Amino acid sequence: MTATEATERVGPPSRAARPHPIRDTVIRRSLIGILTLVLVSILVFAATQVLPGNAASAVLLNTATPARLHALEAQLGLNRPAPAQYWAWLTGVLHGNFGKSLANGQPVGTLVGGRIVNSLVLVVLAGVIGTLIGVGLGVLAAARRDSVFDHVLSVTALAVTALPEFVVAVVLVIFFAAVVFHWFPAVSVFVPGTAPWSNPRELVLPVATLIIVIVPYVFRMMRASMIDALESDYVQMAQLKGVPRWRVLFLHALPNAIAPTIQVIGLSFLYLAGGVVVVEYIFNYPGLGQALVNAVSDRDIPQIQAIVLVLAAFYIFVNILTDVISLAVSPRRRLPRS
Amino acid sequence: MTLSRRDFLKTGLAGSLAIGAVGAGGLLSGCGTGDTIKAFTTSTAGKPRYGGTLRAGLTGGSTADTLDPLSAVTNVDFSRIDNLYEPLVGLTPDALPVYVLAEELTPNKDATEWTVRIKQGITFHNGKDLTADDVIYTFQTVLNPKAPGSAAAGLASIDAKRMTKLDAYTVRIPCSTPFATLGESLAIPGYSDIIPVGYNPAAPVGTGPFRLKSFSPGTQSTFVRYGGYWQTGVPYLDEVVITDYADQTSQVNALLAGQVDVVNLLSADVISEVQGEGKNILLSDGGGWNPFTMRVDSGTFGDVRIRQAMRLVVDRQQMLDLVFGGFGTIGNDLFGIWAPEYDHSLPQRQQDIDQAKSLLRAAGAEGLHVQLITSEIGQGVTLAAQVLAQQASLAGITVSVDDVTVNDFYGTNYLKWQFAQDYWFYNFYLPQVSLATLPTAPFNETHWDNARYNSLYAQAIATTDTSLRTEIAHEMQQIEYDEGGYIIPFFPPVIDGFGTNVGGLVPGKSGLSLNAYDFKGVWLS
Repeated sequence: MTATEATERVGPPSRAARPHPIRDTVIRRSLIGILTLVLVSILVFAATQVLPGNAASAVLLNTATPARLHALEAQLGLNRPAPAQYWAWLTGVLHGNFGKSLANGQPVGTLVGGRIVNSLVLVVLAGVIGTLIGVGLGVLAAARRDSVFDHVLSVTALAVTALPEFVVAVVLVIFFAAVVFHWFPAVSVFVPGTAPWSNPRELVLPVATLIIVIVPYVFRMMRASMIDALESDYVQMAQLKGVPRWRVLFLHALPNAIAPTIQVIGLSFLYLAGGVVVVEYIFNYPGLGQALVNAVSDRDIPQIQAIVLVLAAFYIFVNILTDVISLAVSPRRRLPRS
Repeated sequence: MTLSRRDFLKTGLAGSLAIGAVGAGGLLSGCGTGDTIKAFTTSTAGKPRYGGTLRAGLTGGSTADTLDPLSAVTNVDFSRIDNLYEPLVGLTPDALPVYVLAEELTPNKDATEWTVRIKQGITFHNGKDLTADDVIYTFQTVLNPKAPGSAAAGLASIDAKRMTKLDAYTVRIPCSTPFATLGESLAIPGYSDIIPVGYNPAAPVGTGPFRLKSFSPGTQSTFVRYGGYWQTGVPYLDEVVITDYADQTSQVNALLAGQVDVVNLLSADVISEVQGEGKNILLSDGGGWNPFTMRVDSGTFGDVRIRQAMRLVVDRQQMLDLVFGGFGTIGNDLFGIWAPEYDHSLPQRQQDIDQAKSLLRAAGAEGLHVQLITSEIGQGVTLAAQVLAQQASLAGITVSVDDVTVNDFYGTNYLKWQFAQDYWFYNFYLPQVSLATLPTAPFNETHWDNARYNSLYAQAIATTDTSLRTEIAHEMQQIEYDEGGYIIPFFPPVIDGFGTNVGGLVPGKSGLSLNAYDFKGVWLS
């Protein structure tokens, strides 16, 4: 009797029972994310075990006599069984200690910390500027659909999409740094310990490279969804009703067209987290990507682990964030599914 | 990126040997102003001038970079160590030994004991005087059996425990076996630098022209002029900033954009690009060597006829043309090219396919198939392997090139490969023998163990008379020339770049860039 009474009671459901899609998404996805990170760390560790050689041979190179090799392996703890090495690393991390670099004995936290900031500056600058440019151009191209402006932009975007980032980077360097003009630095070297934003000139070409690579994707998605939105009934209604053009574009069409684009922007940020590896390498930019390349060639397991976990956590975070924003901008999807 | 240039060269080779390495540049060199190479200048920057910061952009380092002279391995390690510390004996640009911290080295008759007198009035960067105690401390640390330094292998004859101080500036160095070449062994840059008693690698001090200001491994390090430096008039520079570069592309871009003043270890295909943009090239005849190593004790290469056939298939000039644009020095399967003992009278080995084929026939090894382990362990190494494979095919030999990672190469199979490559910096003849071609040598990669050769070495190393020693060394080289396990086709050039504002750079024969990174005589205009 009580059960039927409860279900038949009229009025809003109690606060605790009300589904809250955004909060639930965040909690559920975060828990899955943590599990993912643990799995990633196991996978990465396993991968480092499969790679030929180890940190000792990487440090000693051609001075690696068997005696020196064994001495260094013992010193670095590389002669322990693999599960014991992993367990030692994991317990360290759970205590907030990411270990010491096998290559130079410095704490991994310090080595990686500064580089996170450097890479984040690249990713955020390129992501934000690239998004604004992509969205802006997309709206304009959609508004002037089939005009010369639209065609030129669309073809250019398609062409740029086909260019890998290292080609873009090399072309920029040739034109703006090394050969034709000498306007910007060809490589981004700044004194270790100084913040990247205190060297704005050094940032120009790497950021420009990343922007050029992501803009076409954002642009094309924005243009397509904007065209859909502009063809919809409510936009035609608004136009018929005499709403000014800019209001139609930015207040009626854009908010509805942005949702699919947010997914692409999210993907762009994810791409940037990987794309910085190549760009940092070319510009000798002291970021995470460059550190990862070095750490892998040095078989520096604690540093590889730390960097891969940072990148994986960034992926998970951006994925959750994109979904949350998508939910927030499309009220329809927030309704409980029935 | 970096690989594109290299891969491009490889592809060119696989297709046809007719493509010259100089013409086959990557993206960037295609934009150079021409392919003609100008004369190489050593300096365009006028008279010496004091002050300024030299910015060096160097490749060859890693996050395993170290400031510890006991464990220096890479090029960038040497660049720092050669400016922070000094050895008892150094190397001139012509690769001859010269006293640095030592005033005199004197052996006894049978070279079993040396007396070393050091110069007075030299101070470490912390102000402490250099004395006999520091010399003893250095050798005892390097030769500590529990944690031997990288120089330990070459100084194994020294009985460090029994070293004694005769007075504040004189040390007696007893040797467990005769060691007539102590002076030469100490002269190899970056291996036997003197550190003070109680040396702390975290706050390193030496007696060198520059002292440490900051160091972050794999990234950048800064050095400032040491005011109390003992040599008068130098250094000129106030500061040296050494930045690690991952690869040549970004390094050359930095030079062309004026972000660095000197760069090291360039490949021949960027020379025209660097010069076309108004920068200079410093070309040195290096004494380093990139041998092919054949194991003489087992397998295919246990047969001396097959080893000789392999040596005869090599067109050394063509290999040098393709790998280093024709710069460098032709080799004759012997190491120690600049050593006084090097035997220049042995006939230069030429490519002789017929002779190679008949040797193979005699050995019953026609249609020989061998695997060559290669890796980008040094400049041009993998490319040389590709060229060798092409040249060997002329004699019906199939060389399948297995390009492994550097880590794999120096991993558990290092020094055990049947047929592989290696790279060495310059060393004098007998010291090199003690490292590589004796049964007791720590890096005997060819597993060479020849009774006559061993006894000749024992004789030579106990001979203080240099002309007699040279005679014995020549006989040893004859044996290597006839039967050895090394193919030494060439001694690579060392190609460095520098801006027009840099003066005082001289070419050096050590095989290390920028005359073993000796920046004390360098100035900026």
